[in-house]
Amino acid sequence: METMPNNETPAEAPTIPKPPERLAYSIQEAADMLGVNYFSVYRLIQRGKLKPCRALRGKLLVPRTELLKLLATE
Amino acid sequence: MTNPFEHRRPTELEDKAHAEAVRHFSEHLKQFPASRTAVERLERDADKIALAANRAAAKPTPKQNLIQADDGAQWHQSVDLLENIHFCHRPISYGAEYAVVEHFPARGTNEIWNRGWNASEVLKSFTQGQRQALQVWTDDLTAQVQEFLSEKFPGQDLSRVADAFIYKCTTQAVSKQHSLTHGHEQKISRGVWI
Repeated sequence: METMPNNETPAEAPTIPKPPERLAYSIQEAADMLGVNYFSVYRLIQRGKLKPCRALRGKLLVPRTELLKLLATE
Repeated sequence: MTNPFEHRRPTELEDKAHAEAVRHFSEHLKQFPASRTAVERLERDADKIALAANRAAAKPTPKQNLIQADDGAQWHQSVDLLENIHFCHRPISYGAEYAVVEHFPARGTNEIWNRGWNASEVLKSFTQGQRQALQVWTDDLTAQVQEFLSEKFPGQDLSRVADAFIYKCTTQAVSKQHSLTHGHEQKISRGVWI
Protein backbone atom coordinates (compact mmCIF):
# COMPACT_ATOMS: atom_id res chain seq x y z
CA MET A 1 0.00 0.00 0.00
CA GLU A 2 1.35 3.36 -1.03
CA THR A 3 1.54 6.09 1.41
CA MET A 4 1.17 9.72 0.66
CA PRO A 5 4.43 11.65 0.85
CA ASN A 6 4.54 13.83 3.81
CA ASN A 7 5.48 17.28 2.62
CA GLU A 8 4.59 19.00 5.82
CA THR A 9 7.47 20.48 7.72
CA PRO A 10 7.33 19.75 11.41
CA ALA A 11 5.65 22.55 13.24
CA GLU A 12 7.68 24.24 15.89
CA ALA A 13 6.68 23.24 19.34
CA PRO A 14 4.99 26.11 21.12
CA THR A 15 7.24 27.56 23.76
CA ILE A 16 5.68 27.58 27.18
CA PRO A 17 6.91 30.44 29.29
CA LYS A 18 8.74 29.13 32.31
CA PRO A 19 7.16 30.30 35.56
CA PRO A 20 9.47 32.37 37.71
CA GLU A 21 11.15 30.38 40.46
CA ARG A 22 9.44 30.61 43.82
CA LEU A 23 11.30 32.47 46.53
CA ALA A 24 9.89 30.45 49.41
CA TYR A 25 7.93 27.29 50.10
CA SER A 26 5.49 26.09 52.73
CA ILE A 27 6.61 23.47 55.23
CA GLN A 28 4.65 20.82 53.32
CA GLU A 29 6.34 21.73 50.04
CA ALA A 30 9.77 21.81 51.69
CA ALA A 31 9.14 18.36 53.20
CA ASP A 32 8.12 16.98 49.81
CA MET A 33 11.17 18.44 48.10
CA LEU A 34 13.55 17.08 50.72
CA GLY A 35 11.80 13.71 50.81
CA VAL A 36 11.18 13.83 54.55
CA ASN A 37 8.12 14.09 56.80
CA TYR A 38 6.87 17.36 58.27
CA PHE A 39 8.47 16.69 61.65
CA SER A 40 11.91 16.47 60.05
CA VAL A 41 11.49 19.95 58.59
CA TYR A 42 10.38 21.38 61.95
CA ARG A 43 13.35 19.65 63.57
CA LEU A 44 15.71 21.23 61.05
CA ILE A 45 14.17 24.60 61.90
CA GLN A 46 14.46 23.97 65.63
CA ARG A 47 18.15 23.11 65.19
CA GLY A 48 18.80 26.19 63.09
CA LYS A 49 19.69 24.15 60.02
CA LEU A 50 16.85 25.78 58.11
CA LYS A 51 16.12 29.43 58.76
CA PRO A 52 12.48 30.10 57.96
CA CYS A 53 10.77 33.41 57.36
CA ARG A 54 7.25 34.29 58.45
CA ALA A 55 4.32 35.19 56.26
CA LEU A 56 1.94 37.95 57.33
CA ARG A 57 -0.10 35.80 59.72
CA GLY A 58 2.93 34.12 61.23
CA LYS A 59 2.95 31.02 59.05
CA LEU A 60 6.45 29.67 58.44
CA LEU A 61 7.93 29.69 54.96
CA VAL A 62 11.22 28.13 53.95
CA PRO A 63 13.24 30.31 51.56
CA ARG A 64 14.47 28.54 48.45
CA THR A 65 18.02 29.67 49.25
CA GLU A 66 17.84 27.87 52.61
CA LEU A 67 16.82 24.61 50.96
CA LEU A 68 19.65 24.89 48.44
CA LYS A 69 22.11 25.71 51.21
CA LEU A 70 20.99 22.69 53.23
CA LEU A 71 21.36 20.35 50.29
CA ALA A 72 24.78 21.75 49.37
CA THR A 73 26.20 21.55 52.89
CA GLU A 74 28.54 18.72 53.55
CA MET B 1 -5.39 23.11 76.57
CA THR B 2 -9.08 22.25 76.62
CA ASN B 3 -11.52 21.62 73.82
CA PRO B 4 -13.39 24.90 73.26
CA PHE B 5 -16.44 22.97 72.06
CA GLU B 6 -16.69 21.05 75.30
CA HIS B 7 -18.80 23.64 77.13
CA ARG B 8 -20.63 25.29 74.24
CA ARG B 9 -21.68 23.42 71.16
CA PRO B 10 -20.31 24.64 67.80
CA THR B 11 -22.58 26.67 65.59
CA GLU B 12 -23.45 25.40 62.14
CA LEU B 13 -20.79 27.64 60.59
CA GLU B 14 -18.17 26.49 63.11
CA ASP B 15 -19.06 22.89 62.34
CA LYS B 16 -18.63 23.48 58.63
CA ALA B 17 -15.37 25.40 59.09
CA HIS B 18 -13.97 22.70 61.36
CA ALA B 19 -14.81 19.99 58.84
CA GLU B 20 -13.07 22.00 56.10
CA ALA B 21 -9.99 22.52 58.25
CA VAL B 22 -9.84 18.82 59.08
CA ARG B 23 -10.03 17.99 55.38
CA HIS B 24 -7.44 20.59 54.36
CA PHE B 25 -4.91 19.72 57.06
CA SER B 26 -5.49 15.96 57.06
CA GLU B 27 -1.80 15.20 56.60
CA HIS B 28 -0.89 17.22 59.69
CA LEU B 29 -3.60 15.35 61.58
CA LYS B 30 -1.93 12.08 60.61
CA GLN B 31 1.68 13.09 61.13
CA PHE B 32 1.53 15.22 64.28
CA PRO B 33 0.04 12.57 66.61
CA ALA B 34 2.51 10.02 65.26
CA SER B 35 5.45 12.33 65.94
CA ARG B 36 4.14 13.33 69.37
CA THR B 37 3.65 9.69 70.34
CA ALA B 38 7.15 8.85 69.16
CA VAL B 39 8.64 11.63 71.31
CA GLU B 40 6.57 10.53 74.33
CA ARG B 41 7.81 6.98 73.84
CA LEU B 42 11.40 8.22 73.71
CA GLU B 43 10.92 10.14 76.94
CA ARG B 44 9.33 7.12 78.61
CA ASP B 45 11.99 4.67 77.37
CA ALA B 46 15.02 6.94 77.77
CA ASP B 47 16.47 4.91 80.65
CA LYS B 48 16.06 1.63 78.79
CA ILE B 49 17.64 3.07 75.63
CA ALA B 50 20.57 4.49 77.59
CA LEU B 51 21.08 1.14 79.32
CA ALA B 52 20.97 -0.71 76.00
CA ALA B 53 23.54 1.68 74.54
CA ASN B 54 25.79 1.31 77.60
CA ARG B 55 25.66 -2.45 77.27
CA ALA B 56 26.37 -2.28 73.56
CA ALA B 57 29.32 0.00 74.15
CA ALA B 58 30.75 -2.40 76.71
CA LYS B 59 31.15 -5.26 74.27
CA PRO B 60 32.69 -5.57 70.82
CA THR B 61 30.20 -4.63 68.10
CA PRO B 62 30.18 -6.25 64.67
CA LYS B 63 31.20 -4.09 61.73
CA GLN B 64 27.89 -4.28 59.85
CA ASN B 65 26.28 -1.69 62.11
CA LEU B 66 28.94 0.92 61.45
CA ILE B 67 28.03 4.27 59.93
CA GLN B 68 30.27 7.14 58.98
CA ALA B 69 29.05 10.45 60.34
CA ASP B 70 29.80 13.98 59.18
CA ASP B 71 32.60 14.25 61.77
CA GLY B 72 34.53 11.63 59.80
CA ALA B 73 34.36 9.09 62.63
CA GLN B 74 32.71 5.70 62.47
CA TRP B 75 29.85 5.08 64.87
CA HIS B 76 28.12 1.88 65.94
CA GLN B 77 24.33 2.05 65.72
CA SER B 78 22.78 0.97 69.00
CA VAL B 79 19.07 1.80 68.91
CA ASP B 80 16.64 3.34 66.41
CA LEU B 81 15.16 6.45 68.00
CA LEU B 82 12.96 7.82 65.21
CA GLU B 83 12.77 7.31 61.48
CA ASN B 84 16.34 7.78 60.15
CA ILE B 85 17.62 8.75 63.60
CA HIS B 86 19.86 6.40 65.54
CA PHE B 87 21.47 6.35 68.93
CA CYS B 88 25.12 5.47 68.35
CA HIS B 89 28.31 4.89 70.26
CA ARG B 90 32.00 4.62 69.53
CA PRO B 91 34.88 3.44 71.66
CA ILE B 92 37.33 6.03 72.91
CA SER B 93 40.50 5.49 74.92
CA TYR B 94 38.77 5.90 78.28
CA GLY B 95 35.33 4.41 77.62
CA ALA B 96 32.67 5.28 75.07
CA GLU B 97 31.20 8.32 73.40
CA TYR B 98 27.50 8.48 72.51
CA ALA B 99 25.72 10.43 69.80
CA VAL B 100 22.37 10.86 68.15
CA VAL B 101 22.93 10.58 64.41
CA GLU B 102 20.40 11.43 61.70
CA HIS B 103 20.56 10.00 58.22
CA PHE B 104 19.51 12.44 55.49
CA PRO B 105 18.31 10.45 52.48
CA ALA B 106 18.29 13.53 50.20
CA ARG B 107 21.98 14.14 50.85
CA GLY B 108 23.07 10.65 51.76
CA THR B 109 24.81 12.00 54.85
CA ASN B 110 24.80 11.06 58.52
CA GLU B 111 24.72 14.11 60.73
CA ILE B 112 25.41 14.23 64.44
CA TRP B 113 22.69 15.93 66.48
CA ASN B 114 24.45 15.91 69.78
CA ARG B 115 27.14 13.86 71.49
CA GLY B 116 28.66 13.23 74.88
CA TRP B 117 30.10 10.68 77.28
CA ASN B 118 26.90 10.15 79.23
CA ALA B 119 24.26 8.24 77.27
CA SER B 120 21.39 9.49 79.44
CA GLU B 121 22.41 13.13 79.06
CA VAL B 122 22.78 12.83 75.29
CA LEU B 123 19.30 11.28 75.05
CA LYS B 124 17.79 13.85 77.37
CA SER B 125 19.15 16.72 75.31
CA PHE B 126 17.84 15.08 72.14
CA THR B 127 14.32 14.55 73.50
CA GLN B 128 14.20 18.15 74.74
CA GLY B 129 14.98 19.24 71.19
CA GLN B 130 12.16 17.06 69.88
CA ARG B 131 9.72 18.71 72.31
CA GLN B 132 10.79 22.12 71.09
CA ALA B 133 10.35 21.03 67.47
CA LEU B 134 6.81 19.85 68.28
CA GLN B 135 6.12 23.30 69.74
CA VAL B 136 7.43 24.99 66.58
CA TRP B 137 5.06 22.73 64.63
CA THR B 138 2.09 23.56 66.88
CA ASP B 139 2.70 27.31 66.58
CA ASP B 140 3.06 27.12 62.82
CA LEU B 141 -0.01 24.93 62.40
CA THR B 142 -2.04 27.37 64.49
CA ALA B 143 -1.00 30.19 62.14
CA GLN B 144 -1.77 28.05 59.09
CA VAL B 145 -5.24 27.12 60.34
CA GLN B 146 -6.05 30.73 61.23
CA GLU B 147 -4.95 31.86 57.79
CA PHE B 148 -6.99 29.13 56.10
CA LEU B 149 -10.14 29.98 58.04
CA SER B 150 -9.86 33.72 57.50
CA GLU B 151 -9.44 33.22 53.74
CA LYS B 152 -12.22 30.65 53.48
CA PHE B 153 -14.68 32.44 55.76
CA PRO B 154 -13.74 36.13 55.63
CA GLY B 155 -15.08 38.39 58.34
CA GLN B 156 -16.12 35.53 60.66
CA ASP B 157 -14.74 34.94 64.12
CA LEU B 158 -13.68 31.30 63.97
CA SER B 159 -11.11 31.40 66.74
CA ARG B 160 -12.91 28.57 68.56
CA VAL B 161 -12.59 26.44 65.42
CA ALA B 162 -8.85 27.07 65.21
CA ASP B 163 -8.46 26.21 68.91
CA ALA B 164 -10.58 23.07 68.54
CA PHE B 165 -8.54 21.96 65.56
CA ILE B 166 -5.23 22.38 67.38
CA TYR B 167 -6.71 20.60 70.40
CA LYS B 168 -7.73 17.70 68.18
CA CYS B 169 -4.32 17.59 66.48
CA THR B 170 -2.26 17.73 69.67
CA THR B 171 -4.33 15.32 71.76
CA GLN B 172 -5.77 12.68 69.47
CA ALA B 173 -4.38 9.17 69.55
CA VAL B 174 -2.13 7.96 66.79
CA SER B 175 -3.33 5.37 64.30
CA LYS B 176 -1.11 2.31 64.02
CA GLN B 177 -0.25 2.79 60.37
CA HIS B 178 1.21 6.23 61.06
CA SER B 179 3.47 5.30 63.91
CA LEU B 180 6.96 6.74 63.37
CA THR B 181 8.70 4.13 65.42
CA HIS B 182 7.69 0.93 63.72
CA GLY B 183 9.33 -1.95 65.54
CA HIS B 184 10.89 0.42 68.05
CA GLU B 185 9.71 -1.36 71.20
CA GLN B 186 10.80 -4.71 69.89
CA LYS B 187 14.32 -3.48 69.20
CA ILE B 188 14.69 -2.01 72.66
CA SER B 189 13.39 -5.11 74.41
CA ARG B 190 16.01 -7.10 72.55
CA GLY B 191 18.63 -4.65 73.71
CA VAL B 192 20.82 -3.75 70.77
CA TRP B 193 21.43 -4.91 67.28
CA ILE B 194 23.66 -7.93 67.26
